[in-house]
Amino acid sequence: MSAIPADDAAVPESRRARGSLWRMLSEFLENRLAAVGLGVVVLFVLFCYLGPLIYHTDQTHIELSEATLAPSLAHPLGTNEVGYDQLGRLMVGGQSSLEVGIAAALLATAFGTLWGAIAGYAGGFVDAAMMRVVDALLAVPALFLLLFLSSIARPNVGLLILVIALISWLGPARLVRGQALTLRTRDYVRSVRLMGGGPIRAVLRHIAPNAIGTVVVNATFQVADAILTVAALSFLGLGIPPPAANWGDMLSNGINYTYDGYWWLIYPPGLAIVLVVVAFNLIGDALRDSFDVRLRGR
Amino acid sequence: MQPVVELVDLHTEIALRHGVARPVGGVSLSVGKGETLGIVGESGCGKTMTALSIMRLLPPGGHITGGSILFGDTDLATLDEAGMRAIRGNRVGMIFQDPMTSLNPCMTIGDQVAETVLLHREATRTQARKRAEEVLDLVGLPDVKRRLDSYPHQLSGGMRQRVVIAMALACEPELLIADEPTTALDVTIQKQILRLIDDLRAQLGMAVILVTHDLGVIAGHSDRVAVMYAGKVVETSSTQELFDNPRHPYTEALFRALPENVDPDRELYSIPGLPPDLSNPPSGCRFAARCGYATDGCRAEEPSLTGDGHPFACFHPLGPAEQATANPRTEPAPAENGSALLDVRSLVRDFRVSSNGVLRRASGTVSAVADVSFTVRAGETFGLVGESGCGKSTVGRLLVAEDTPTSGSVSFDGTEISTKSNRALRELRRDFQLMFQDPYASLDPRMRVRSILREPLAIQRRGSAPEQERAVAALLDEVGLPRAALEKYPHEFSGGQRQRIGLARALALRPRLIVADEPVSALDVSVQAQILNLMRALQREHDLTYVFISHDLSVIRYIATTIGVMYLGKLVEVGPAEQVYSAPAHPYTKGLIDAIPLADPLREHRKESAGVRGELPSALTPPSGCRFRTRCPLATDICAEQVPPMRRFSEQGQRAACHHPLKAPVPERMAG
Amino acid sequence: MTGFIARRLVQSIVVVLLVTVIVFILLHLLPGGPARAQLGPRATPVAIDAFNHRMGYDRPIPVQYWTWLEQLATGNLGFSVKLNQSVLSLIGERLPKTLILTILSTLFALVVAIPLGMVQAVRRNQVSDYAITFWAFVFYATPPFFLGVVLIVVFSVYLPILPAEAPQSSSLGVILSQPAGLILPVLTLALLTVAQFSRYMRSAVIENLAEDYVRTARSKGAGERTVLVRHVLRNSLIPIATLLGLSLPAIFSGALITEAVFNFPGMGELFWTAAQTQDYPIMLGITVLVGLATVIGSLLADLAYAALDPRVRFA
Repeated sequence: MSAIPADDAAVPESRRARGSLWRMLSEFLENRLAAVGLGVVVLFVLFCYLGPLIYHTDQTHIELSEATLAPSLAHPLGTNEVGYDQLGRLMVGGQSSLEVGIAAALLATAFGTLWGAIAGYAGGFVDAAMMRVVDALLAVPALFLLLFLSSIARPNVGLLILVIALISWLGPARLVRGQALTLRTRDYVRSVRLMGGGPIRAVLRHIAPNAIGTVVVNATFQVADAILTVAALSFLGLGIPPPAANWGDMLSNGINYTYDGYWWLIYPPGLAIVLVVVAFNLIGDALRDSFDVRLRGR
Repeated sequence: MQPVVELVDLHTEIALRHGVARPVGGVSLSVGKGETLGIVGESGCGKTMTALSIMRLLPPGGHITGGSILFGDTDLATLDEAGMRAIRGNRVGMIFQDPMTSLNPCMTIGDQVAETVLLHREATRTQARKRAEEVLDLVGLPDVKRRLDSYPHQLSGGMRQRVVIAMALACEPELLIADEPTTALDVTIQKQILRLIDDLRAQLGMAVILVTHDLGVIAGHSDRVAVMYAGKVVETSSTQELFDNPRHPYTEALFRALPENVDPDRELYSIPGLPPDLSNPPSGCRFAARCGYATDGCRAEEPSLTGDGHPFACFHPLGPAEQATANPRTEPAPAENGSALLDVRSLVRDFRVSSNGVLRRASGTVSAVADVSFTVRAGETFGLVGESGCGKSTVGRLLVAEDTPTSGSVSFDGTEISTKSNRALRELRRDFQLMFQDPYASLDPRMRVRSILREPLAIQRRGSAPEQERAVAALLDEVGLPRAALEKYPHEFSGGQRQRIGLARALALRPRLIVADEPVSALDVSVQAQILNLMRALQREHDLTYVFISHDLSVIRYIATTIGVMYLGKLVEVGPAEQVYSAPAHPYTKGLIDAIPLADPLREHRKESAGVRGELPSALTPPSGCRFRTRCPLATDICAEQVPPMRRFSEQGQRAACHHPLKAPVPERMAG
Repeated sequence: MTGFIARRLVQSIVVVLLVTVIVFILLHLLPGGPARAQLGPRATPVAIDAFNHRMGYDRPIPVQYWTWLEQLATGNLGFSVKLNQSVLSLIGERLPKTLILTILSTLFALVVAIPLGMVQAVRRNQVSDYAITFWAFVFYATPPFFLGVVLIVVFSVYLPILPAEAPQSSSLGVILSQPAGLILPVLTLALLTVAQFSRYMRSAVIENLAEDYVRTARSKGAGERTVLVRHVLRNSLIPIATLLGLSLPAIFSGALITEAVFNFPGMGELFWTAAQTQDYPIMLGITVLVGLATVIGSLLADLAYAALDPRVRFA
């Protein structure tokens, strides 16, 4: 017999493994919308954090003589009703919006993932009880709860993050629980027990990493939702009190002047919110697609 | 006589994310009226794509790029879509592999069958419904009037497939294309459905194209055969001629890989290598890289189909003399030392089925395992065989203490494991491991092979880190995988390779017993052969005992030394493999053996029995007395009244539970 | 199916009870307790004690909870000192209007989103799909009050064809007789929901189009439209029913903001005013009610799901 390659055991060289993170990133960037989203987010981060270093404005002292000026060279986006430069305020406000959004999302995701993983893996009564709590908290619309809490005391940044996270952890909890339920029956999770391993190993080493995809996707959507929630709270008059700036506050302030024609008070913050939220949604969507493909990539 | 359909040099392409695949690379076939053409080949050979091309139902991105499909006066390859729609379901019908997903879960059976009629005939809804009733009756669906308003999930697999057939035949097509119609069904049901197709073909005077990977099905139910490999037809002939006188080396290799053709004391022939990548097919003969007879000429130039009557595409076809090559003998298995390693006594596992009431009270119990007892001796391979719902997988889980029995016991090497807590079992688990069925779900997709193989050692704290590394590398060697595999992820391997990894993982703790739950069922025949050979070799090397669970009796017959047959939770027969297979005592065992399609047309056609009739009864309310009696040709009143006891039928330990066994029991030895 | 519904019913009751627990906790989170909430920040300690004793707030917590639960069950949602009306009657005035707003906008959203999602799925990755996706993302990302303001600017200021404020009457009849005033609020609330629903519908249809039974339908000679309408649509509506149930809290939140923007005299606006004036009885009462409404809505959505999916109807 002529030389034959080794049997079925030979692994073709074309299937070389690159680092999984690199592969994910390159697949992710193939989706052009995702690349756009990522680009927008990066731009805004630079704008909000590097901007003030280049473009100095005063965001704490009121200067009524400079109130509600239309855009000019001195103030590219005009000034608001107490004289703050809008462009500068947009940058500083963005910091607050992004920070609250990301912090709340991270906190909510961490807590929610843990809750959902425990409920899903434990199953039975523990699962039912934990999920009923989630259902109950979900039944009360977030805004109502937030307004109630805000009416007791106007929140500062820290409290706001905490409260938003308190409402948002429900989403990841549901998702992760669903994942845990599915993954629990997978053969590779079964095998852990059969090798003598305990539930902690199964959850930490096998279920959590395989649920990461869903979690990360959800986290990006959380950031988007948190930014919107802060904006809504500000609109309703119960967000972070001035002179702290954030986009929602700027927007709701600006709306008071709709009929006065001071468009520069309304559209820049509004557009900023829309752009950043769309960007995060695009990223989340693309991440979800790329995770699906990978898991289906037989 | 003009063929009903003729494919001439058909080429099909599918646009992928990166590149183009060419699953059909120049296929020519024809089928005549009233005849069945079988297209056989392994996964990836292009047989399904060929079938889909005829119907022009290719997946997104797929289209025909060359050749023609002559159907009557029309060329289906170039016909416009409206014309194709008029033909589909009307003059050409198609049935698919999985009847559960092939039916719309939200439409009633009656509506789905009537839809075919409404699409192609000027009929009122009442008339269409009437026709649906007729056709469903024709395909043997019991209780048709009531079933018309049922939904697919309320029917069993066999019944659903009958519905699918009814849908395809409602307009009495000239051609029926069946793509793996029975692969997803139990073997006894498979036989019923294949016979049904044969009968309908005769009744309606159709031509049938039967696409399958199973040579036994081909042998028993096709008049002519086309063998496909890597997108091309490598050989066509009448069925008998193909089996008597294969010309192409691939065909021969397929035959030699079949467990049913091989004596248990010989190795299975496994085709080395993998099928070629069809987005970049090799020049020259596509089988050359794996062919034992290939020369340089084969790799340079592609052979075309030559020969009348029995065309084949090969420069070095086999002559009659070459078929005498026998498979190599294996070393004889070590003599069983007779000590019982696994002792199963009166094992019962019931599952409470919750009712749909408010408080979810158990409305019934499913007795998945109903009083099963057997012994597995050290060094042997115990084959547990049965169809879906027989409880063999549940038994498998009970054997490795993944599940606790409702009553009864499982003892491993004298220690009872069925009632121990997880913590107590932890150390004991080193001695028995499980090997899984699904190569795609048994390995964590996010772990590299190195971590997967080290995990059991890490859990059991065996050895230091460098020792574990060495052990893992050695494991890979043993299962025949290269060291480079350590760095890779599971999705980079083929199904057979993943099963090797699964086997390596099972071996990591050097167990004495491995319970393998359908380890080769998801694999192609040639890959299956490799894994079976490997398992055999490892058994000799490490003095392993296997419990091999499968629904495939021919695999069991090849690899098992003792066979246990289960039906609806009961062990109906058990004994030495040769005895159970050649001289079964229980009617179900015989029915099961009969139903297996053999790759031998003469023997297939000589089978007299119609096989096991009827459907599997519900496990919630199993038949009283003997559970098999509702489908048994020998049943009498006593079968309904008394549970048949296990009796011995040979000195070597063959036992069966039947009131009317197929041979005389051996009288019980007197005690003392 | 009865089993499925019965189970969901039991679950819902448990959830409603938990909602009352949550609100009860909120009640006791108030600084100074419920007494201060009712009597105002200047109440004397004596008055507070008397109040507490009279209302039973000095009894053990579980007893308080039980009493409160009894009150709820008899329809006593508290009394607003500031507006001098029982909470129940206030809600009674406002609830129908909010219901009109939410029901109309949800219906509108469904009627638009379902066909839109199907079109997107069929024209997947073509220009029209990208265009619709783009707008869906934009609407999804727009804070509802911003959207409302933009709509007002466009339709009330530049093209003065629609009023910027909803009819202010407390009578339902008057409101319904001036439908023009309803258009902008309904549109604002609906656009957000449309965005989300059409995305879901799109992925549900895409998934279903790849299923085997669609291939079977095509093999019978069915055309694309038949496949879509007779086969895919019903299967795709199943996840939408569940989604509807899950979206209810968000729809109510959106309603709150919409009512604030347009001065729509509904429950949301009442809640907002109460939040600004620290009128706690109203806030608590509405929270319980909205929680209840959400749970009921969820249950109805589950009913729809069971009706659509034969695998649940005939288990």
